[in-house]
Amino acid sequence: MQEGTALQSRQINRELLVSILNSPKWFWTALAILGFIVLAAMSAAGFMINQGMGVTGLNRPVMWGFFITNFVFWIGISHAGVMLSAILRLSKAEWRRPATRAAEILTVFSLMTAMMMPLVHTGRPWRLVYWIYTMPFIPYDYARGIWPNVRSPLVWDPSAVYTYLTSSILFVMVALIPDFAVLRDRTTGLSNRIYGMLAMGWQGNPRQWKLQIIAGVLLSALILPVFVSVHSIVSWDFGMAVSVKSWHSTIFAPYFVVGAVHSGVSAVAFVLIILRFAYGWQNYIRHEHIDALARLLIVVATGWFYFFVMEVIFGFYGREADEIAVRDFQFMISPWNIWMFIFVGLTYFLPVAIWLSRSWRRNLWIMSIACISVNVGMWLERFLIIVPGLARKQLLTFDWYTYRPSSVEWILIGGTFALVSMLMLLIAKVVPLIPLYDIKEGEILRTEIRIGRVTVPATFRED
Amino acid sequence: MAASEAKGHGHHSGMWVFPDAAVMSEDLSVKTRSMPQAFTMALVVTGVLFIIGIVGFVARAADDGFDEIAPWGYYMAVFSMIFMISSAAPLVVVAFRFTKSHWRRPLSRVAELFSIVGILNLLMFIPLMFLLPDLANPGGVVEGQLEVRRTIWFEGPIGSPHAWDLLGVAFLTITSLAILWLSAVPDMAESRGSTTGFRGWVYNRLAGHWYGTKRQWNSQKAGLALLGAFYFMTLIFVHFVISSDYAQSLIPGWKDSIFPVIYSVTSLQMALGAILVILFIMRRWGGYEGYIGKSAFWAASKVLLGVTLLWVYHLFAFFITFWYGRLEVEQNIIKYLISESYSIIFLLNLVFSFAAPFALLIWNPVRRSAWGPALAGLFVIFGGLMFSIRIFVGAANATEGSEIYTSILEHVPPPVYPDVWDVFMVLGGLGAAIFVYLASTKLLPLLSLWEVKEGALYQRWGRFMRGEYLILGKPE
Repeated sequence: MQEGTALQSRQINRELLVSILNSPKWFWTALAILGFIVLAAMSAAGFMINQGMGVTGLNRPVMWGFFITNFVFWIGISHAGVMLSAILRLSKAEWRRPATRAAEILTVFSLMTAMMMPLVHTGRPWRLVYWIYTMPFIPYDYARGIWPNVRSPLVWDPSAVYTYLTSSILFVMVALIPDFAVLRDRTTGLSNRIYGMLAMGWQGNPRQWKLQIIAGVLLSALILPVFVSVHSIVSWDFGMAVSVKSWHSTIFAPYFVVGAVHSGVSAVAFVLIILRFAYGWQNYIRHEHIDALARLLIVVATGWFYFFVMEVIFGFYGREADEIAVRDFQFMISPWNIWMFIFVGLTYFLPVAIWLSRSWRRNLWIMSIACISVNVGMWLERFLIIVPGLARKQLLTFDWYTYRPSSVEWILIGGTFALVSMLMLLIAKVVPLIPLYDIKEGEILRTEIRIGRVTVPATFRED
Repeated sequence: MAASEAKGHGHHSGMWVFPDAAVMSEDLSVKTRSMPQAFTMALVVTGVLFIIGIVGFVARAADDGFDEIAPWGYYMAVFSMIFMISSAAPLVVVAFRFTKSHWRRPLSRVAELFSIVGILNLLMFIPLMFLLPDLANPGGVVEGQLEVRRTIWFEGPIGSPHAWDLLGVAFLTITSLAILWLSAVPDMAESRGSTTGFRGWVYNRLAGHWYGTKRQWNSQKAGLALLGAFYFMTLIFVHFVISSDYAQSLIPGWKDSIFPVIYSVTSLQMALGAILVILFIMRRWGGYEGYIGKSAFWAASKVLLGVTLLWVYHLFAFFITFWYGRLEVEQNIIKYLISESYSIIFLLNLVFSFAAPFALLIWNPVRRSAWGPALAGLFVIFGGLMFSIRIFVGAANATEGSEIYTSILEHVPPPVYPDVWDVFMVLGGLGAAIFVYLASTKLLPLLSLWEVKEGALYQRWGRFMRGEYLILGKPE
């Protein structure tokens, strides 16, 4: 499973620090464009707060729309970090090495972006202050004896997401320590002082390495339950609601988690392809790595499809009129049925058809299309869970309605994609997006064995 | 004892074995032919149990006939248990072949031999076909009842559910046997010249065409991959069908999309447990310690730990959705299957499918041993038996008469305890499965020779810095 030439430590340092120590011409242009979109989104949010939620397409009964869809989507993307870093580290998959850092950082930024969405969705984000702090002099909530319902999944949600965000940041920071030390030794002035602080006295002696490795393994194991719980709890925002028929499904938790891994790993594969082109990291992000990710994705996608089929079949299974109304809306009424068809095609059939071919898995353009396809599909999936359920929530047909997103919502959604891209671009100026020490370790452990007339790549393993 | 070398230092002592490929074939051929006293005794005991099971079955049929499903709850449970293990075991090896895990090599054949137990499954399933209540309500639409009971077949396509269920189980058995055959062809071909009698006849018939050309090897590997993918899809479908038709659809109002997943996860957990138990017996008493290093237990136990966690996660996802919803129908199902009627069985299920194996397998030294994973394997098998009893006995006895055509479980039925014929059938079913498995080990070697030999080529012992470590070749 190893291709490419052997790399020296000096070369690894030089090539992987290029994103930090140099600024290519396209960098500032890309930053400006993304910054402009983010500013537009901020303006749209400001406009919405000023004018009220009436400028969105939200209505009664469809009170959750693009914002909550986007919230679930970004939480989903955040599952790539742990999947690639923790699980592949524990299973000692060699090909994980170049993908871990980008995945972990994408996790952190997507979680931060996700958390903004419910805040925007409230329409009056400052009300969060009343939730968090007791302010007797402000005549709201606590002072009026109104307390959030701690038994509600909507309260479990921020608890789980913030725990995941905190542990993800810790996970990234611990993994970054040896690389911060390399940067400390290659910078001067203020940068040197900051990297020195972040490196926490790292000298690379055997004891420090041992502790670093143990911390990595322990954090990997400890973060796994958090990883599973986050999207499970997000799914229970829906699953606990007995009033929305298509949401009250026991399969939602694993269905959401597998879907999250599907979209997250696809997003990481796409980010890796972009990094390879942008920084010329052909020696590090090789075709074999993208190939391995694609093969992993075949399994994940098939698992996801199984859960999807179960969810739909058991939606019909009860043959209850109110649930059939939702399914009818999803599968029979235009344009929702067209969206449904597009969603299943983009999420499963198109990408898996691509990934089944070895040559297509190794074609980075085609792989990019597959990864984007998955993410468009997975965004649609969340949308098609949320809106039809609410549109047919009421028992009486005159209370049924539909949903049409406004331009403000479109801009805000576009803004979140620009924000995550911009943050990834900015972080590439500060930390190496491919872990130096992990690559070096892989190089040290790699070897070859000869079997008959064939030389086979091999690795040293302690276990 | 084969010429082999055990490697590993410190707490990895004896972790890896490097068998001598030159003597392996002869040694395994002798092992396959021999009938040690303990083996013969096990064959006799399980054979007697098999007969007791047949007695129990005949007596139950004579007493109650096949008109009602309720008296057959324990028969359904034991069928389900054997089916879960024997159907999921080949998937274990399919999955680890797909991930190219070298440690799977000593357990490949152990898992594949469960395909032969699948034939017993198919036979056991035939009476179950006649027990399912009709889809259409024979009494017509009475107040509060449905015209057609809730099943995954909805309005009922031709032959549903009976013919489709049987077709599914038969197809699964045939596919698993095809996997076993394709995997065993090189081994049978190697031994066909030196084997006589029935075994020799079988080897010649099934592997007469095999000469080990490059084209044949490529076809064999491609065939195993394709059959494996096909088996995976068929298995998931058949688990869905069986768990729905023989459990969920028999309890009115039980609408639970995660149950087929729980059923499949439990199957995988039990199959892995059974494989670990067999590996331990082979290593400890079968003279296979020269072929099975502790690394197989170590790696498989990590997977078992993961599957155990998955099991409890799925169970919790089911429980919290029903519990939080506070709907009367869902509360009744929780009371019936978890907290009231079958509460003791549920607790045993939870302890042996989750708590005990989890408490055991989180410890590194236990996972690195041979006994630890095997003990965890025993726990999950027992836990799986409790699962099958809770679900299938519960499902068979949830309703009386036409209640099955209602849409909710209006009252919580009492538990049903086994009578003597039930005990006979459960013991007999388990005995029969072990009997068939033991007999199959005399037909084919318990180790996949070609896979173990191939593994020996890809694994070396080499020097790294100041120590010696395993070098693992990864061909692609």
